[in-house]
Amino acid sequence: MAEIRVLIVDDSSVMRKIVERALRQTGLQLARVYEASTGTEGLDVLAASPVDLVLTDINMPAMDGLEFLRQLRERNLAPRVPVVMITTESSEEHVKQAIVAGAQAYLRKPFTTEQVKERVLPLVGAA
Amino acid sequence: MAASLRQSIERFSDPCSLDASVEEVFGTVLGWDCQLDPEPNLREEEAVTAVVGLGGVLSGACILRAGGGAARMMVARMTGMEFTEIDETVQDGMGELCNMVAGTWKSRQPELAAGCGLSVPAVITGRAYNLHVHAPEFELRHAYCAEGVSFAVTIVCDGLR
Repeated sequence: MAEIRVLIVDDSSVMRKIVERALRQTGLQLARVYEASTGTEGLDVLAASPVDLVLTDINMPAMDGLEFLRQLRERNLAPRVPVVMITTESSEEHVKQAIVAGAQAYLRKPFTTEQVKERVLPLVGAA
Repeated sequence: MAASLRQSIERFSDPCSLDASVEEVFGTVLGWDCQLDPEPNLREEEAVTAVVGLGGVLSGACILRAGGGAARMMVARMTGMEFTEIDETVQDGMGELCNMVAGTWKSRQPELAAGCGLSVPAVITGRAYNLHVHAPEFELRHAYCAEGVSFAVTIVCDGLR
């Protein structure tokens, strides 16, 4: 399995660690893990560094995950990089908003390693 | 909407829904098998209380409270780190646990799925304090135990639109 570079955007440092650990538990080889605690920081990372996968929380102060994703697409940053939205909100409306904004997949917290395998690995050609 | 929500209040206030949400979150994130605790020991000197607000068609809060030792143990399990004090990471972890319980409880109520939002968590640490909500519509409070520690989860609703 090829090594990939990942950006994790979440205002919670604990959740960033949990997401990274879950990715490693799927067997993914992570060449580089970038962390951002805000959407703005995430955009700055993407402007400076190539990544293969983005995972972002939705419910964040200042710039939420949906706005982060909209700006990412508007600024044409990482145009072919898959984005996974992670949140406690799992209504049909929230999923629809995430997909319309340009997300490829959706994980509801709390998530299992199996759910990460099922939804994230196909996006990076590692299913 | 108000009439239908009020008709659902019995289901919202069903403690089984809270228990199932706690079981799911603590089971998935910590690998803990939580049991109801009829005699919780929550009298540690320092307590950590995480609060996530509920707003929209239902307003209120989800509150997770644990003693300092229990909070450190929970977040140690979440992160693989060890903690000797209630630092920012412990507070952050407790906030996330509370957020996940709130979100899971809400997702079990179809009427609340799209019309009720969650705030970012706030965390209070200290000694000898109480949270009080005046005249709530309903309040669910259960104490649980797992791995030798106790914690309490409250869902309080102070308004239905």
